[in-house]
Parts: sequence; structure tokens; C-alpha cells
Amino acid sequence: MGQNEPVPSLLLIEDDDAIRTALELSLTRQGHRVATAATGEDGLKLLREQRPDLIVLDVMLPGIDGFEVCRRIRRTDQLPIILLTARSDDIDVVVGLESGADDYVVKPVQGRVLDARIRAVLRRGEREANDAASFGSLVIDRAAMTVTKNGEDLQLTPTELRLLLELSRRPGQALSRQQLLRLVWEHDYLGDSRLVDACVQRLRAKVEDVPSSPTLIRTVRGVGYRLDTPQ
Amino acid sequence: MTQAHGGIRGWAADRKGVWSRLRFTSLRLRLVVVFGLVALTAAVSASGIAYWLNREAVLTRTQDAVLRDFEQEMQNRAGSLPGNPSQDELQHTAGQMANSSQRFSVVLVAGDASGKTVYGNSGALNGFTVQDVPSSLRAAVNRRQSVSSANKSPYHLYWQRVTIHGSPYLVAGTKVIGGGPTGYMLKSLEPEAKDLNSLAWSLGIATGLALIGSALLAQAAATTVLKPVQRLGVAARRLGEGRLDTRLRVSGTDELADLSRTFNNAAEALEKRVADMAARDDASRRFVADMSHELRTPLTAITAVTEVLEDELEMESGSVDPMIEPAVRLVVSETRRLNDLVENLMEVTRFDAGTARLVVDDVDVVDQITACIDARAWLDAVDLDAERGIHARLDPRRLDVIMANLIGNALKHGGSPVRVAVRDAAEAVVIEVRDHGPGIPEDVLPHVFDRFYKASASRPRSEGSGLGLSIALENAHIHGGEITAANSAEGGAVFTLRLPQDSSPLTEDPDDGEKAEGDA
Repeated sequence: MGQNEPVPSLLLIEDDDAIRTALELSLTRQGHRVATAATGEDGLKLLREQRPDLIVLDVMLPGIDGFEVCRRIRRTDQLPIILLTARSDDIDVVVGLESGADDYVVKPVQGRVLDARIRAVLRRGEREANDAASFGSLVIDRAAMTVTKNGEDLQLTPTELRLLLELSRRPGQALSRQQLLRLVWEHDYLGDSRLVDACVQRLRAKVEDVPSSPTLIRTVRGVGYRLDTPQ
Repeated sequence: MTQAHGGIRGWAADRKGVWSRLRFTSLRLRLVVVFGLVALTAAVSASGIAYWLNREAVLTRTQDAVLRDFEQEMQNRAGSLPGNPSQDELQHTAGQMANSSQRFSVVLVAGDASGKTVYGNSGALNGFTVQDVPSSLRAAVNRRQSVSSANKSPYHLYWQRVTIHGSPYLVAGTKVIGGGPTGYMLKSLEPEAKDLNSLAWSLGIATGLALIGSALLAQAAATTVLKPVQRLGVAARRLGEGRLDTRLRVSGTDELADLSRTFNNAAEALEKRVADMAARDDASRRFVADMSHELRTPLTAITAVTEVLEDELEMESGSVDPMIEPAVRLVVSETRRLNDLVENLMEVTRFDAGTARLVVDDVDVVDQITACIDARAWLDAVDLDAERGIHARLDPRRLDVIMANLIGNALKHGGSPVRVAVRDAAEAVVIEVRDHGPGIPEDVLPHVFDRFYKASASRPRSEGSGLGLSIALENAHIHGGEITAANSAEGGAVFTLRLPQDSSPLTEDPDDGEKAEGDA
């Protein structure tokens, strides 16, 4: 990251004082601007006031929990969310991903890992090639980083958008979950393939006519996913 | 309960059929034999006594009647003969005597006037002669006895039972007192023998019937005894297999019912005991789980701050006091260790609680192992002998945990180079990790996968948590795989990991509900 790039601003929602202070310290040192909140309600209020680039959200919160905060944010906003889960219990991860999180980190988290995840998520919104592609009624404009369906703008999170871009770059070609994890999430070889599955589900809900019988983003059994042009 | 019963019985019959039937038959056989012997003894002795008494009664009655008749005839007819009768007279008298109601043959012997012995016989019954009379009887009849107050007559009537040509006869003889002729009689006992024979037959048939009856009774008794015993056996076997809710239906008040009741009580006590132990075990596991959760929160804060300290150490400006630097390094490294330990504890509690899940993906096994070695900077110390292209459906994170623990362990105890070989076996991937160390002592070998097992108390505390191999094994098991430890012939320890080619049947399908679409 170059020196002249704008400093990303983060919102950290974490109820434990020690963890909040420590993570704030660590993330600030990594070069982020960090705002903190101790409860979900405070976090949602701060979100409206400050418009951060990304939210780091603890799952176990007093009052409304992390999943609920995540769902409420997703109703209006597509900004990236990274879940901080104290338990790597699988059900937590699945619920978190279903409620719209882009990625998750298991406590006790190392500041560097969290920083890498944050940067990877933020990179997903960056523009790249300046062309457009259409798949049926779906038009992906890579220059404007917008996706329209039947002329209507679709609200996609940066992760969903990146996933769609990576799939659209290789139309008709199946990409494995591990490949997608590297391309979209920039995870190392140990990526959790459920991130891909959850994101595909959310993406289908937005781009498919009938999400339960997809015609664009198809599952390739035993391999992964591919983007097709409907006949 | 009743529904389960039929199934269990059928299962038991299938499993131990021949063997148990043989065994139960032997008990059954013993019961039948004992019953049979008792019945036989009772029947034989009863019939024997009955036969004997009957025989005596019948024979004595017949004999008494005949002998009384014969005596009377002798008195009346032979006694009235002259002192020296002629042959004709004798013959005539014998014929008269034989005509009595008892139908016996008679021979009379007397001396005639000329001193010659003459015989008179009744002629009937295949020519009864004096020669037919046993000589001992003749001697007894002709012996003159001294007359006393106890014995009033000089000659007595003697009788004997003889068998002539296979038929039973009664022979008797006496002398007319006062110098009369000597008379002998022969009476056939054939009718009596026939009666007694038929009696013996019927007694024999009765004995046979008693035997058959006793065998049937023994069978019935054996069944009533053995059925509960068999049920008890089945129940005990179920109990042994861990189905602690097994109970017997108690009916009646006999010893078998007592036994069933005892069995039920024992099973109940056992169930309670096991439940207690399981509860205690659960509590301690929950405690470990809760504790590691609780440890995580402060550890997260410490870890985040420790990194700040670490960054500070690595800065060239040297802003850390050289006196404090070792302390900071120690905090950094020990925090990392504490992190690993808590992470491993969490992993173990997840396995114990059964909440560990597989997240299966299609991966190139060798790529994953290479990445695992690479990520830990072990490339120089590990010799990987495998070709790419061995695909398997498994949880990549768990494979990484297994390999990191196996290779880490080999590096720690065996030293480099560590050889990792990957083979594609039928339906399975076999990964061998071999080190070049001293190998594992035989007494340690069975415990290498135990939690917190240290080969010897004096051994220096290693960097490991003591959970690594146990976690590796659990991770293999959740895939449906296995890890075995052994010593190689060329020296060094060999850990062999065998994972099924496709572990997805063990997890919920991530593509559920899309199958039709996916095949399109």
C-alpha cells in the first residue's frame, strides 16, 4: 500500500474492553483509522455518523448480537463486514455467513491476520479493467463497478461483486472453491469453502430470476461453480 | 420392549445359533435322561413287585387246590385199595383219581402180592410215568419220618415245580399212611403261565408308556426352565454390548423370577452408575470447554498487544530497552504457545462434545501437503515423495492439522530429514511420515496418541502442547480414516495416515438441494 493512499477507516464493534483496546491499538499501528463501539446499538449509530469503509464485528454482544447487527446493516448497506467469532464452532460461522458477513476471523486473532483480511476485503472494491460483459439480462460493467439486471442497478457487496467479476472473467469455466477463495478472499491454502458457498447463495438471491433454480451461477458437482450465459 | 424382543431373539439365534442350541440341548438331554431314569426305576420296581406278588398268589392258589384235591383222592381212593393191589386195580384207581376236577395225571406205585412193584397210571397227559418224577422228590416221598408230637405222620406230601419240554408242571407225590401205595401226580401249569405272561406284557407296556411320558414331561420342564435361562442369556449379552436399559419381564415367584429380578436390579444399578460417571465426565469436559472459552477473551487482547511489542522489537530504531528485550521476547513466544495450547484444548473439547464438523472440499492432496510444509518453513527439512494429481474429498484444514502435527512431531523427536510419502491406494490416500530418529520405545508405542502423554517424566518439556498427536488422530477419525504408529525396520518412527478418498458421506452435502441443477 502506497503512502499516499487514503487511510481506511474501520468501525470496531466489540464489547470486551481489553480486546477492544488491544485491537484498536494493533489496527491503528497497522495504519487504519479505527472508531470503536461497545454495543451493537452504539455501532449502528456510529455507522450512520461516520460511514466507515469496513466493519469488524464481534459476534457475542450484549443486547442485539453480531448476527443481528450484520443483518440490519445489510438491509441498507453493502459495506464489507468481517466477523470476529470467539468460537470457531461451525454453526456460528455458518450463521454469520448467512447473515451477510464477507469474512470471519476466529479469536484469539492475530493482529496481522486481521489486517491482511481487512486489506483483502477492501481491495475487492477496487476498479480494474474497463470493459463490460452481459449474461442474459445481467450486465457487468467493470469500469463503473456496477451490475445491472434488466437495466436496474443491483446492490452488491464488494465481495459479491468480486466473486461475480472473477466468475465472469472465465465464462463457462468451472472454478473450484479453493480457487475462488484465493482469487476473491485472498485466503491461503486453508480457506474455508463455506465462505464461497454462502457468498454464492447471497449472490444468487440477487442476480438469479429464481434463486432456488439458478441459470447463471451453476454448481458443478465435485468441482465448484461456473457462470453461464442463459440460452 | 416386547417389540424389541422378537428381533433380539432372532438376532441371537442367528449369531450363536448352533453353538447355543448344542449347549442348551445338553442340559435338556441331561434333564430327559434323569427323568427317564427316575421313571424307569419307579416303573420297573413297581411292575416287578406286582408281577412277583401276582405270580406267587396265582401259583400258590392253583397249587394248593391241586394238592388238596390230590391228597383227598389219595386218601379216598388209593387208601381204599387192598394192601397188595394188582396192576389192574392200580390202573383203575389212578384213572378214577385223574378224573377229579383238577385234571392231573396220576401214577400209583405199590407192591403186589408176589412182591413185585406194580404201576398204575391214569394214562392221560402224554404218558406220565414214575421216570418223569425227579428222583429227589421220589426219595423225599419214600423217606419215612419219625413220628413225634410235632410230626404226626410218617409220610408227607412233597411237591416240586418242573419244566418238561419247555412247559411248566407241578409234580407232587405222597404215600398212603399205613402201607398204602405211593401216588404221584403231574399237573400242567400252562394256563397260569399264560396268564402271568400276559400280565408281564402289560406291565412292560405300562413301563414303556411311563418312560415316554417322563421324556415328554422332561422336555416340557426343560423348556420352562431353559426359556427364561435363554432370555437371561440374551439380556446379559445385550447388557454387555452397552444397552444398559435392558430389563427382563419378571413373572411368577420361582427361583428364575428371583434371578430375573436380581438381573434387573443389577442392570439398573449399572445403568445408574454409568450415567453418574458419564455425567461427571460431561461436567469435567464442559469445564474444560468453558475454561478454554474464558481463556480466549483475555488471550485475544494479549495476543493483539503482544504483536505490537513484537513489531517494536523488530524495528531498527531499537526503541526497546536492551535490558527488557529478553522479557518482551519471552512474553511474545509464551503467548504464542499459550495460544496454541488453548487452540488445541478447544479443538479437543469440540471432538469430545461431538460438535466437530467436516468441511469437505475437493483438493489435491500433495498440493495441500506442500502448502502445509511451505507455510511452516519446513521445506528444507522435509523430503516429499509424491506426485501431484492425487485428488481426494476431505477437509483441507483438518488435513493441514494432521500433517502439521505428524511432521512437527517427526522433526521434534526424530530430526530431519523427514520423509513424507503419499500413495494412492484403492479408495484411500495413504500418507507415510518417517523420521530418522531413534524410533519409539516399545512401551511408549501404545500411548503415543494419548493426551498429554510424555514418554518419560525426566524428559524436558517440549514445545508441544501434548495434544498434537491426539488431535491428529481425532482429525483422521472424523474423516473415517486412521493413523498408526510403528518403528521402521531401517530405524526411525513411521506414522501412517490413511484417509478415505471421499469423506463427503460423513458430512452434510454443501450442494444439497441443487443436485438436479448441478447435473444439468
